Amino acid sequence: MMSDVTTPVEKLRAAFGKTIVDVAILHGIPLVRVGKADVPLVAHYVHTHPELQGTLSLLWAVDHRPHEKRYELCYLFTLADPREWLLLAADLLDEDRLFPSITPHIHAAQWYEREIRDMFGLIAEGHPDLRRLVRHEHWPKGTHPLKKEFPWNTVLGRQQGQYAFRHIEGEGVFEVPVGPIHAGIIEPGHFRFSVAGEPIMQLEVRHFWKHRGVEKLFENHTLTTAVPLTERVSGDTTVGHSLAYCQAVETLLGLEVPRRARYLRSLFLELERLHNHLGDVGAICNDTAYTLAHAHGSRMKEQIMQLNDRLTGSRFLRGVNCVGGVDVDLEASRFDEVVAELDRLEKDFTELEEIIFANASLTDRLETTGFLNERTAIDHGVMGVVGRASNINRDVRRDHPFAAYDELQVKVALYRYGDVRARMRVRMDEIHESIRLIREVRARIPHGPIMAPPTRAPAPGEWALSAVEGWRGEILYFVMAGEDGAIHRCKVRDPSFVNWPAIQYAVLGNIIPDFPLINKSFNLSYAGNDL
Amino acid sequence: MFRILRKSLKTGIVTGRYPESPESEAGASPTAGQKARPFRRSLTIREVDTGSCNACEMEMNALMNPIYDAERFGVHIAASPRHADALVVTGPVTVNMEKALKEAYRTTPDPKLVIALGDCACDCGMFKGSYGVTGPVERHVPVDVKVPGCPPRPAEILQVLQRLQGQRD
Ligand code: SF4
Repeated sequence: MMSDVTTPVEKLRAAFGKTIVDVAILHGIPLVRVGKADVPLVAHYVHTHPELQGTLSLLWAVDHRPHEKRYELCYLFTLADPREWLLLAADLLDEDRLFPSITPHIHAAQWYEREIRDMFGLIAEGHPDLRRLVRHEHWPKGTHPLKKEFPWNTVLGRQQGQYAFRHIEGEGVFEVPVGPIHAGIIEPGHFRFSVAGEPIMQLEVRHFWKHRGVEKLFENHTLTTAVPLTERVSGDTTVGHSLAYCQAVETLLGLEVPRRARYLRSLFLELERLHNHLGDVGAICNDTAYTLAHAHGSRMKEQIMQLNDRLTGSRFLRGVNCVGGVDVDLEASRFDEVVAELDRLEKDFTELEEIIFANASLTDRLETTGFLNERTAIDHGVMGVVGRASNINRDVRRDHPFAAYDELQVKVALYRYGDVRARMRVRMDEIHESIRLIREVRARIPHGPIMAPPTRAPAPGEWALSAVEGWRGEILYFVMAGEDGAIHRCKVRDPSFVNWPAIQYAVLGNIIPDFPLINKSFNLSYAGNDL
Repeated sequence: MFRILRKSLKTGIVTGRYPESPESEAGASPTAGQKARPFRRSLTIREVDTGSCNACEMEMNALMNPIYDAERFGVHIAASPRHADALVVTGPVTVNMEKALKEAYRTTPDPKLVIALGDCACDCGMFKGSYGVTGPVERHVPVDVKVPGCPPRPAEILQVLQRLQGQRD
């Protein structure tokens, strides 16, 4: 990450000169501060310049009160080649509550800017859609939980209000509301379909039913005590979230995580990927009523979860990651057990794949269903499994190696078709790849300690960013230290938050009965999205 | 066809292949046993997630996989609260889900049971006190059985259900 960081900054300097207030480099990430009025212009430049082609990866705000009377807006871009980060920042001073929206140019910003309005009361001027996002309509006016003056344990009142869904009118057009409670054992969310006959003309996703106030709760923790909370942001991604958080804190504390711990982290992350992907392959088949594959898929998933339990005492691998390393070490004999079990599982799974591929009627249901084209995927910054099924060649394990991936060399699964089948195939390929990676881990893992002691305390206001390729996609954490090891701000970004809006496009022209199938092929987290 | 048959034969019966869990520390209200009487052979569950981290959901789903196969004890999952004998509630009840939970409870026909699954549902767990949370579940609807754990293992959930159904002491 340290390589050529100056070049993009030089480009910005050359193009914008005086509008740039300040340039700094922190933990290898270049930060360019501009006046708030210049943000849209600079952001647009970063986004469209042929040599930069920055995708917006994260947009968040920080309330610097009580120390400084300002809000800070941060725009994190991932540049195309090499995939470096570039951070734009702008300040809102004193009582200033308005900032110019970048959504008209950069589509991926739309939910972020609405989120910032809800959480901080800062308004993105020129945003085409300023309805509430996180706060449902019954939340009282003026409730902005992430403002520092808002107590974390406020008891919210209730007001009247209705979300204004977008309507399509015309003969034969009607609306189908679904949720928040769904038919299966799944998380709550609301989907509003407009249909004319069978095909879906419009889908609007209304989420955030599960908003628990996670980001505010972080501010009650110290840097080292928050790990259990990160494991509960999205329970199915326990390792992904805790790892991303721990990495950010380790940067702040100046910790060099021992190699053995890095390998163990890769092992656990791949185990998590395995049990989720195995379950998903089965569940996708189940939504076409092919229950046989579902039975096998869920059986294999259970096999991995029981393995997790034997290795760590938790089926979800909870308590594995901690700041500085890992809490669980495995003896050599344990590694042999893991690899032997995975050898059996791979054979088992390959046979299941053959059964799935031989089924023409299944293929017929999966092919061309829920098509997400590459352009839409790029515009929304779609990532992870869903992105890779639409030819978005991104994987943090390869692009920004963390844990032990610098020595493991991940082969990235990539498909162009963007349909349900492609998303299933990405998962299938990744299952094989995860098994291969775990074999590699066993072959290469060095001996040594699994935990590093902290070397320094971060100054208040110091921050770090970290990315992890969880099984769904890129998980981002921004952690800013407060006084005495407290957390001043923690921004959590599950890939679901980015991918949810894209599903609204993938369903167009499909029929409602195919929606569960499409939704399953995305399999996004509601908890991780709603926070 | 042969491929599928071969696979099934090779796999064999996997049901019951899980380690027994230690006795669950689930607590039941004094009337729970009596309320559960009509459901001894068949208990239909509607799962309501009121803001879980989704690990509790995943374990509920695991209950229906071939290994735990709760169906063999007459436990079914209903698509609507209107068809349910029991609500299994997970999560700390968020501000946004409070109304939906009450609604689901109201539409579940009597007699009915409410099972609070996981630490969150029992006492809000890590999210206790947060502005986003109004739970725990028993603040909003009467709870008959509380199953602690974060999340409780499927074997444990199964044990609790069987005990409730009087199929196990
Ligand atoms: S009890 Fe634990 S596992 Fe269950 S929803 Fe709460 S945090 Fe998640």
